[in-house]
Amino acid sequence: MTKRIAIYGRYVAKKPVIQRYWKRRVDGIKQRYWIKTTRYKNVVLSCGRYEFHGTGRDLLRAIILALRVMPNGYVDISAKEFLAHPYKYGTEGFWIDGEVVSR
Amino acid sequence: MTEKLCQGKPVLGFTDTETVKLDFDELAFRNVKYWAERAMNWFKLGGYIILKSSKNCYHVVFNRSVSWAQNLKVVAWVSLFSHNRGLTKWLLMQCIKKSSTLRVSNKNQKQSPRIVYKHGKQDRQIKEFLLFRGQIKDIMKKLDTERES
Repeated sequence: MTKRIAIYGRYVAKKPVIQRYWKRRVDGIKQRYWIKTTRYKNVVLSCGRYEFHGTGRDLLRAIILALRVMPNGYVDISAKEFLAHPYKYGTEGFWIDGEVVSR
Repeated sequence: MTEKLCQGKPVLGFTDTETVKLDFDELAFRNVKYWAERAMNWFKLGGYIILKSSKNCYHVVFNRSVSWAQNLKVVAWVSLFSHNRGLTKWLLMQCIKKSSTLRVSNKNQKQSPRIVYKHGKQDRQIKEFLLFRGQIKDIMKKLDTERES
């Protein structure tokens, strides 16, 4: 396996607001449903992480881009692929300082 | 959200599966050296370097290239016999990720890890680790200069 650069820490990302609603089914039971709204809220997360591999120039560009595109969970891809489709793997946000455990 | 969130920097690290790495927390340098020496002799790892990440926290990188299974065997062996809680916690995180990571950049008030001791051969995985570490440090410098300008 190739050597990779890991980027991790605490960050603020925009996540869609999830709304709860109730609907009465045909059998009379009240069922709870969740819907993703079009509204967004800022949430502090620390569970996301990038693992980039590739050439030096691609890595530099990918890291610069990763400063404003926050990871959607654990993202392990080539720097070239991330540069081509950044918002497929992340959402808008910014990194913040804070307590980060070694991982 | 009551706390004020100001923009910071992410932590950059080095990840792979074939380099044996250890992350000791709350352990004196002489004990770190003892466990690195013992692991190197027992598993014939060729050589090692010790990096100081903060007070009483050290990283160890070994020279021989191994498979992921062998890598976990070495780390688990040291973790079991040294009774180091930090290392055990770190090992569990690496098992979940299926690759091991060591920090290269600075984190909050902690400086980036610096080399404090070298022993044995340095021509294989240590050489590659140091090359990659240099590359990451160059990227960090470029980011800092961009941010300042």
